[in-house]
Amino acid sequence: MTLYLLCLILFCVGLYGVLRKRNIVKMIIGLGIIEYSMNLFFVLLGYRNQGRAPIEAQAQDILNMVDPLPQALVLTSIVIGLGITALVISIAIRIYDKYGTFDITKIKKLRG
Amino acid sequence: MIDNPKTGMSLIVKTVTRLTVGLILLFGIYIVLHGHLSPGGGFAGGVIIALSFVHLMLAFGKDVAVSKISKNLASNLESVGALMFLSIALIGYLGGSFFMNVLEKGKHFKLFSAGTILLSNVAISLKVGVGLFAIFLALVILERSSKEK
Repeated sequence: MTLYLLCLILFCVGLYGVLRKRNIVKMIIGLGIIEYSMNLFFVLLGYRNQGRAPIEAQAQDILNMVDPLPQALVLTSIVIGLGITALVISIAIRIYDKYGTFDITKIKKLRG
Repeated sequence: MIDNPKTGMSLIVKTVTRLTVGLILLFGIYIVLHGHLSPGGGFAGGVIIALSFVHLMLAFGKDVAVSKISKNLASNLESVGALMFLSIALIGYLGGSFFMNVLEKGKHFKLFSAGTILLSNVAISLKVGVGLFAIFLALVILERSSKEK
C-alpha cells in the first residue's frame, strides 16, 4: 500500500510541473514524470511477493512468477509515450521558432 | 568530415565515441537476435541500434550521421520494416491462419528455434531503430532551420 501511495506522490509531482511551471520544457518533463509514475503503478500491480521475472530459462522450474500482462502493457505504453514526447517537443520547437521564448506567459504579448 | 574540429563536441568525446559506437551497435544486434530466448527483442534492440547512430550524431555533428544513413534511406528502410512484418504475418496463411508459425520450430533454447518470431523481431527492430533515428534527425533539422531564419 505504501508503494502505491509513493506512486501517487510521484504522479502529483508531475502534475505540479505541468500545471504550475511556466517554462514549456519543464512542463514536458512533468508530462514524462506522470507517464513513468503510471508505468510504475501498473508494474507494481502485477508484482507478487518474492516473485521472479516471467522469463522461461534453462533448467529452472516455472514457479512464483510475477504477472507478465502489465509488463507487456507498459512496454506498449512506453512506445506511445515516446511518440507523445517527440510530438510535444516538435510543437515546443515551433513555438520557440515563432515567439522566441519558452515562457508561456510571454507568448501572448509578443505577436498576439 | 570526421576530423573537423569545428563541428561536434570535444576531442575526448569524439575519441570515446569512436571506440564505443561499434560495440553499442553490436549489442543492439545481439539483443534483437536473442529476442525469443532472453529479455529484449525487436523494440529494445531497435532502440539500442538507433541510440548508436544518435550517439554518432551528438558527438560528430549532423553531417557524419547523415552520411551513414540519409533521410531518404531512413524513410525507405522504415517502410521496408513495416512491409516485412506484414508479409511475415501474411505468410501465415500458407499454414492456415494469420500469423501462423509455418517455419521449422527447431530445438528449444537454440538460436534458430522459434520459426517466424526471429524474422518478426528483425522486422520490428528495423522499423523502430530507423524510425527513432528519423525522429531525432527531424528534430535536429527543424532546430537548424529555425536558427537560420
